[in-house]
Amino acid sequence: MHEASIALNLIEIVSEQCRKNGFNRIDSINVRIGRASGVRPDALIFAFEAIKNDSIAKDASLNIEQVPVSGLCKNCNNSFTVDEEYVLCCPVCKGGSFRITAGREMDIVDMDVS
Amino acid sequence: MKVKVVTKILEANERIALENRKLFDKAGIFAVNLMSAPGAGKTSLLEKTLSANSDLRIGVIEGDIAGSDDSERIERLGAPVVQINTGGACHLDANMINEVLDDLPLDELDIVFIENVGNLVCPAEFKVGEDMKIMLLGVTEGHDKPLKYPLMFQESSALILNKIDLLPYTDVDIDKVKKDSLSLNPGLRIFEVSCRTGQGISEWVKWLETQARKI
Repeated sequence: MHEASIALNLIEIVSEQCRKNGFNRIDSINVRIGRASGVRPDALIFAFEAIKNDSIAKDASLNIEQVPVSGLCKNCNNSFTVDEEYVLCCPVCKGGSFRITAGREMDIVDMDVS
Repeated sequence: MKVKVVTKILEANERIALENRKLFDKAGIFAVNLMSAPGAGKTSLLEKTLSANSDLRIGVIEGDIAGSDDSERIERLGAPVVQINTGGACHLDANMINEVLDDLPLDELDIVFIENVGNLVCPAEFKVGEDMKIMLLGVTEGHDKPLKYPLMFQESSALILNKIDLLPYTDVDIDKVKKDSLSLNPGLRIFEVSCRTGQGISEWVKWLETQARKI
């Protein structure tokens, strides 16, 4: 259900940009969603499609780039990227002390307008 | 034509959360976003905390999809309380909190608990203006929860394992809960409590007093 709030926020932000800059139509919106953000891409697209019709984004497609979870190990100094949505230990040295550097994104990158 | 946007999707929520945070800071309040699954014991923990032997002046914002059962329980203990009904939404957001802040006597409080909608997923994603996120897990919910719902365990500063008195009647591996939670979030402070027997409550309240004094 939170994907609907996120889709609403997304549409508000791009609508505001269009109002400010005098664009009339959005063809596509490109976003980056981290694997650990808790947002499911298919649910976000479903929500976006369901609510876009009353907005300037009604003709727009939503393109989602998923960002994998990455981290930097404080033990062995290696940086790593994993397939899972979370990291329990450094995949290189198995140490438990690391900093997550990517994977929590929920950003709008750009859009194609006319 | 391609136009750069480069904006966080939840920017609007984060802006309002920051406003809330400033209002809490101005009043010297320690604001806690209290999260758990339905039935883990959030309101029971607040009742125990309010009844504890402490000078803390506590206000509560209750978030529920419907009904006012929780705020009535808090009201009976004489604490200032506001009920938010989200009307179906699965989490509280910053704007909902912003709209009710006027209804609490902020200048007379040390702590505001924002009791989120019972849900292990969405509440972890939306900042409401809190200083700290704290989560509860009823031990009967099972030892698989940290790895199934990692975000909330990662976002929280403290984990309260409630219903600890029921542990002997379950097959739950409490050491696994702790180990997985700490792997996800090495700085996590873990408490074992029972809101039914009162076990562990005084330790929790003492910690809370320390946190509130830091503000």
